[in-house]
Amino acid sequence: MDLIRIENVTKRFAKHVALDDVSLSIPEGSIYGLLGPNGAGKTTLLRIINRIIAPDSGRVMFGGKEISADDVYRIGYMPEERGLYKKMKVGEQAIFFARLKGLSRKEATCRLKVWFEKFGIESWWDKNVSELSKGMAQKVQFIATVLHEPKLLIFDEPFSGFDPINANLLKGEILALRDKGATIIFSTHNMSSVEEVCDHITLINQSKNILSGNVDEIRHRHGANIFEIDYRGEEQDILKALAGRCEIMDSVPSPTGFNKIKLHIATDEEVRAVIAAANESVEMRSFREIIPSMNDIFIRAVNGNL
Amino acid sequence: MKSKIGIIIGREFNERVHKKSFIITTLLTPVLMLGMMFAPVLISLYSKGEQKQIAVVDESKIIAPALQSSDEVVFETTPLPIEIARKEYSGYFAVLHIGSDIMENNNDVQIYTNGSTSIALEQNIATQIEMVLQNEKLKKHNIENLPEILADIKSDVNMQSYKNSAGEEEEAESSSSVVATVLAYILSFMLYMFLLIYGVMVMQSVIEEKNNRVLEVMVSSVRPFDMMMGKILGVACVAVLQIVIWIVLIGGTAYFVLPMILPDEIMQALTMMREGGAQAAMQGGAEIGMLQAVMMLSNAGYIATILASLLVFVVGGFLLYAAMYAAVGSSVDSPQDAQQLQTPITIPIIVSLFVMLSVINDPTSELAFWFSMIPLTSPIVMMARIPYEIPTWEIAVSAVILYASFLIVVWGAAKIYRVGILMHGKKPNIKELWRWMKY
Repeated sequence: MDLIRIENVTKRFAKHVALDDVSLSIPEGSIYGLLGPNGAGKTTLLRIINRIIAPDSGRVMFGGKEISADDVYRIGYMPEERGLYKKMKVGEQAIFFARLKGLSRKEATCRLKVWFEKFGIESWWDKNVSELSKGMAQKVQFIATVLHEPKLLIFDEPFSGFDPINANLLKGEILALRDKGATIIFSTHNMSSVEEVCDHITLINQSKNILSGNVDEIRHRHGANIFEIDYRGEEQDILKALAGRCEIMDSVPSPTGFNKIKLHIATDEEVRAVIAAANESVEMRSFREIIPSMNDIFIRAVNGNL
Repeated sequence: MKSKIGIIIGREFNERVHKKSFIITTLLTPVLMLGMMFAPVLISLYSKGEQKQIAVVDESKIIAPALQSSDEVVFETTPLPIEIARKEYSGYFAVLHIGSDIMENNNDVQIYTNGSTSIALEQNIATQIEMVLQNEKLKKHNIENLPEILADIKSDVNMQSYKNSAGEEEEAESSSSVVATVLAYILSFMLYMFLLIYGVMVMQSVIEEKNNRVLEVMVSSVRPFDMMMGKILGVACVAVLQIVIWIVLIGGTAYFVLPMILPDEIMQALTMMREGGAQAAMQGGAEIGMLQAVMMLSNAGYIATILASLLVFVVGGFLLYAAMYAAVGSSVDSPQDAQQLQTPITIPIIVSLFVMLSVINDPTSELAFWFSMIPLTSPIVMMARIPYEIPTWEIAVSAVILYASFLIVVWGAAKIYRVGILMHGKKPNIKELWRWMKY
């Protein structure tokens, strides 16, 4: 079931169209990546989902109904530029944001204690935000975002500014939230994080949705039927065996005897025949499809050669 | 979505009242104000000063016997010629020289001071000499019983001023135009300070929130209108708290501490005045102006009207200006960018200050009336008029106009705010703000 359905949303600002007839569906319990070059309209879309701004036309459905003001209690939003009051104590501040999301002061304090313990930051409670480093402040912001246990979490560039250790910690927390039933949208330029955590993506370019779907499915769909074989044996033997069955793109013999060959197989039906032939001629160690990285797909899609 | 204005008001209020700067200004200002008001009075009451000795060289022999010494000044006649006297009496405050033809040439008087001079003293001496000369000249006309006549014509006028409240049965209240003027100055300057300082405070706080992107986090859970109103009302609460603390501190000091430090004669005269009116008090020998001032300040109805109006106009004026300041703050990225947009807001404040100066001379003029009705200038100008006891309906009408225009302005400001807080990187002009308002 889809938690969020965006139906033909269009948003114009004074001189340009920020979103042009964008539709997409976000399945419940998924981690959804929103990709796109700078200025493509990602933040506008996130703001529309957050009801910060209203679309000119089209609508946003939340859990099957048109999104309403009360739904903000079920959404947690962490904008790209982190926003905290610099001169306010960390604990008070987190309570303040939680109360704005409908938690009572008592409930917020209880939950915060648990999170602060989990992140090992209990000692920050009475510190001013201005005393924290950027990464530290982001941890606080993350907690403030998820504290009211929303059904939908929206992160704008969540990993920017985190060191690898904390980025991993955050990734772990995001996956854990998903496992507890939250649906997560995040916008990013970081393609490796998309491959690691996202189930689905939408690629927005120049205000339009140009590519949507399941990450694995997209990568396979845009695979170019290119395969690679690692083998031990004579190069001539495998070349002879494969001749006529497929197109050899590259062959790299190695003095150590572990050779690689890269091929293009025109149709899926021929894959088994190619494997059989190769297996006859040399000692095969591996056979795998070269799937394009999300990075490649992103660049090709934005440049219009997908 | 239920309104979260309360949570926001709470945050804005708490953040500000816990600041050291707030606590210090709140406690120190009344001390300074009281100090400025009472220091001169107390100094003049308690500092009798040393007696000033003046040597008199009187070549005419008419003036010196008639000069009267007092607590402050003692005259001592000397037969020495002036040149020697000036050297001989260098330890005295001054040497006074009166020429022999003083009757014919009234200007033949010189005073040689050995230290700083004193205008009050010089005037005292000049007046005494004038009196002596007038009496001497009168004597030349050979009028019978002159000393009796002179004693008889001597008159001393002390005018008492009252507020004429026709139709009311109570006794006319005594009023003091000096007190009204001082109050008018203090109150309208207070308004000026509050509008400017607290208004700019709202603007800067919006700019700060916009810069560190707190607004974007907040705006996902709070309506922009609630955010703006929460901030304005939160700061208004801080202003009201500050004024109430001042009133309590100043009022408490005036009520409990003043009776202890004021000299007994004045306290006695006051008691007499309360019981038997001004006449009774004057017979006690006290100065009427001072007594009337104190009486006016201890008139509960008068003070209550002023304090109530102060709260009404500080809050109303602040709300009106803060809404505009918030709109400007939301549309820029830095206080520097705000300068240009701020100007149209600051102009009416400055104008009211100039109008206030003329209002104090004539609080019932047409100018005073109309500027105390126009919403942008009314808070400051009205506060300058209220101490002069203008009709209550004028105050009420002005307050209603002020609050009504606040509702209109806040509506427009909220529209600018809603667009402005999400705009970054460009500096809009007034034309653009106008467009946002209709957006």
